[in-house]
Amino acid sequence: MKLDRRFLLRGSCQGALAVLGLPFLDCFLDSKGKALAATGRPLPTRFSTYFYGLGLTKQLWVPKTAGKDYEVTEQLAPLQPLRAKINIFSGLRVAVDANPNYQHWSGAGASATGMSPTKINEFDTKTIDQQVADVISRGARFKSVAASCAGDASQSYSSLGGANTLPAEPTPLSLYTRLFGPGFQDPSKGDWKPDPQVMIQQSVLSVVADDRKRAMAELGPADRARMDQYFTSVREAELQMQAELQRPDIEAKVTIPAAPEEMVCNNALPNLRKVTPIMAKLAALAMATDQTRVFHMSVSQPGSQIFIPGDSLGYHQSTHEEPIDPKLGYQPRVAKYNVYNMELFCAYLKELDAIPEGDGTLLDHMLVYAFTDVAFAKIHALDGIPVLLAGGANGRMKTGYHINGDGSPVSRVGLTAQKAMDMSLESWGGGSMETRSPFTELLA
Amino acid sequence: MRKLTVLGLGVALLAAAGAALAAPGTDAAKADGVSSEVVSLRRLTQDEYRNSIADIFGPGIEIRGMFEPTIRVGGLQAASTAVLSVTPAGFESYTKMADSIAVQVTGEKLRDRLPCTPARAKAADDKCAGKILAHYGLLLFRRPLTDAELKSRITLAHTLAARQKNFYAGMRYGLASLIQAPDFLFRKEVAVPDAGGKDYTLEPYSRATRLSYLLWNSTPDAELLSAAQTGALSTEAGLKKQAGRLMASPRLEAGMRAFFNDMLELDTFDTVSKDSLLYPKWGVAIANSAKEETLKTVLDLTLTRDGDVRDLMTTRDTYINRNLAAVYRVPFPFNGDWVRYEFDPKAGRSGIITQVSMLAMFSHPGRSSPTKRGVALTDILLCEPTPNPPNNVDFSIINDTGGPLKTVRQRLMAHATNPVCASCHNHSDPVGLTLEGFDTIGGFRTTENGEVIDLKTRIRDTTINGAEDLGRYLHDNPKFTACLARKMFAYARGENTMRVRPNMFQAAYARFVDSGFHLRALLTGLAEGPELYSAPPPKPASGGGGKVSMH
Repeated sequence: MKLDRRFLLRGSCQGALAVLGLPFLDCFLDSKGKALAATGRPLPTRFSTYFYGLGLTKQLWVPKTAGKDYEVTEQLAPLQPLRAKINIFSGLRVAVDANPNYQHWSGAGASATGMSPTKINEFDTKTIDQQVADVISRGARFKSVAASCAGDASQSYSSLGGANTLPAEPTPLSLYTRLFGPGFQDPSKGDWKPDPQVMIQQSVLSVVADDRKRAMAELGPADRARMDQYFTSVREAELQMQAELQRPDIEAKVTIPAAPEEMVCNNALPNLRKVTPIMAKLAALAMATDQTRVFHMSVSQPGSQIFIPGDSLGYHQSTHEEPIDPKLGYQPRVAKYNVYNMELFCAYLKELDAIPEGDGTLLDHMLVYAFTDVAFAKIHALDGIPVLLAGGANGRMKTGYHINGDGSPVSRVGLTAQKAMDMSLESWGGGSMETRSPFTELLA
Repeated sequence: MRKLTVLGLGVALLAAAGAALAAPGTDAAKADGVSSEVVSLRRLTQDEYRNSIADIFGPGIEIRGMFEPTIRVGGLQAASTAVLSVTPAGFESYTKMADSIAVQVTGEKLRDRLPCTPARAKAADDKCAGKILAHYGLLLFRRPLTDAELKSRITLAHTLAARQKNFYAGMRYGLASLIQAPDFLFRKEVAVPDAGGKDYTLEPYSRATRLSYLLWNSTPDAELLSAAQTGALSTEAGLKKQAGRLMASPRLEAGMRAFFNDMLELDTFDTVSKDSLLYPKWGVAIANSAKEETLKTVLDLTLTRDGDVRDLMTTRDTYINRNLAAVYRVPFPFNGDWVRYEFDPKAGRSGIITQVSMLAMFSHPGRSSPTKRGVALTDILLCEPTPNPPNNVDFSIINDTGGPLKTVRQRLMAHATNPVCASCHNHSDPVGLTLEGFDTIGGFRTTENGEVIDLKTRIRDTTINGAEDLGRYLHDNPKFTACLARKMFAYARGENTMRVRPNMFQAAYARFVDSGFHLRALLTGLAEGPELYSAPPPKPASGGGGKVSMH
């Protein structure tokens, strides 16, 4: 007899009650026994992707030497306070193979999936964060969460593949409400008990999910895949409720702040500077309290529309229209925008590093994969596309290095990151970027 | 003690769900009927969802939650609804919204509207529950529920009503399970062989759905569903009668509002920011007003006045409010909100192409862009998309405001002398250059950086000087009306405009032309069929089950 998935799920409604009291992080027993929290339980290694548009200026960001003692460059200067926790990758290559170089897309898609996109604005496979989430998220309340600092739900580069991206929470308030609004189990409350309402909602979902077979009937292949995604989403809602029925067992020494106020969220740099740290703080709290173990943050779209008030061109237009200064050899205004982006990234990392956990900080127990859409925006060049990794991945990742990729495909960084996440995969990426060689020197 | 209570509930649920599983699936038999094919599966748009809920459950239902973003395919968001699915974050929101709607519908304030009152409010009542669920199920799914679908909901409602000793608590969950079902969230349109047996055409319920969302931007009402149920919608007379009824309703305005909002890409405003130092008066209020101005103009001209759609390119009639009066720099000596306004013939304004909306949406934050405007307008109005520029283009000269080239035009021209660039810029720029008399938020101007702006250009063999000339050129260009009709057809069917060929709706288009380009003629031509409802016969089975599982 084939076991019906629905049958198993129904059992779990009851099962959830039976397992009450079991440590909720059991599935993350770390054989190395590192990074133990106060209670002696291991902390899960969490994962985040971070997207910013339009790359950096090669002359100003690539350190002259590789290794740990590289001299800090102008564009990496904002990251200096956290330098020991970051790895810098230069000299990476994006091979588009037989596909066109879709402007501001091929680089972003390749960095996120390890393969060159065959269609513009679509991912050919799940993005790296979702591949990681498949492995590490079971037990967390949300399989993954995405947020856009620029106030646009569609600025998400987290996807299950295809044209659908996982919508980003567009404001601090919406992110807060999703994470800490209804359904959040406050660890500071001593009198926890499972909410019967959650179980009722599970039974509603069960009825919805029971129609799967009939809903899938008659559909062509493309629509079947879409309907399948719908039911996958139903399944995730069920798992989310299951997590909500668990006794909160949160080690983090954090307090959940009051809800943030409504803010103007758009592409104006002053607003981004206000919004990004707040979004970052919420992301950090979400991961520290195990609301999610996978977070995607974006500060702009590819071809970033960030602008400084008074600059009639803005970032993207500047990359194409600002002349290269003959003396400097680069575009000075664009270079400033590059630095602003690194400052925003640093604001994100700082919040992750501000949360104490076990023997270090949240950042030490996670991995952040920061990527962009181009190497040289003026001509949409992809070779030398920058990738940054931050965080020690619970001791699995050595940090503080500049790695000269020397023409390696960008997918090598993604493979390295997943190895550090303890995922059992031998190769990653597609086409000529498929690789079996992580940067082993970084893996502890 | 508490733990025991909760456990008891869990067991009861288990039993209930088990009963649903065991229910015989009459739906399977139906699905296996003679060769029908699903021709489209479209995720409801936010407005379609909101309108449908309001129509089904009556006014006063509050809907709060996140709707997943859409994208544009062939110039229309409508086409992307046939491509996108429901993500986990999206479903999370749908499930919460469904429950919140069901809470309101079964709440004390609104429960009198339910089509049945239970024998006892403190107990389950399967007969009454069945009546309510079947009633709303038909409206939500736009077809009658199958036996299995109905039974599983009655069982759910029964269990929970009995458990909580409250009929309405059970109803809440029964209804919520319908509101979050894929059959409501997606419009599934099914085709069957037509009378001749050779071609395919939508079955009656799918006809009702396509017709209603096109004309009213909402779900089919009871009368339309009943015409589907009797089969009247599959007859010429029956279809004509219902099409006429929907066309005659004032709700047609909501339908066309949705179409023009999509076609004119007015949602672009949701992500447009302007430079607050250079244009301090710009703000969300102006953006919203600009969008509304364009919709009001379009609906007034095409529906209220039953005008010639070509006049959208030339009319000086518009609607303004205080916000817009500031941008247009015209007096606004009124207390009211919106007033009808006619631009001075010397104001240089010509139809919707010179309204704040179109001018501001397709500009940079602090600077106008002939290329952006040209690319957008040729795509939106003429169905002529411009290819992306080559990757390694040098645009530097455009930005060199310190040099001898003062205006955007001069700098653009210098860049466009490069033959590679010229091929596309010659296509997009002339249209945009004629609009250079308006700045990035749509304000009138005659100079840029101290130099008088030249508005003259050539499109193919026609000399065009300024926005009014452009308006006349577009007015007389048959590509405009053809493009509008193609987009309407694509919008109605959720298809990519670029794949719509004129021969797919020859008859409707002929009515449009013969009427002197009146929107109602085009809509009637479509609504009365058969072209709108036709479908290609199914392709031979392709074996594969689609992509690998997304989970």
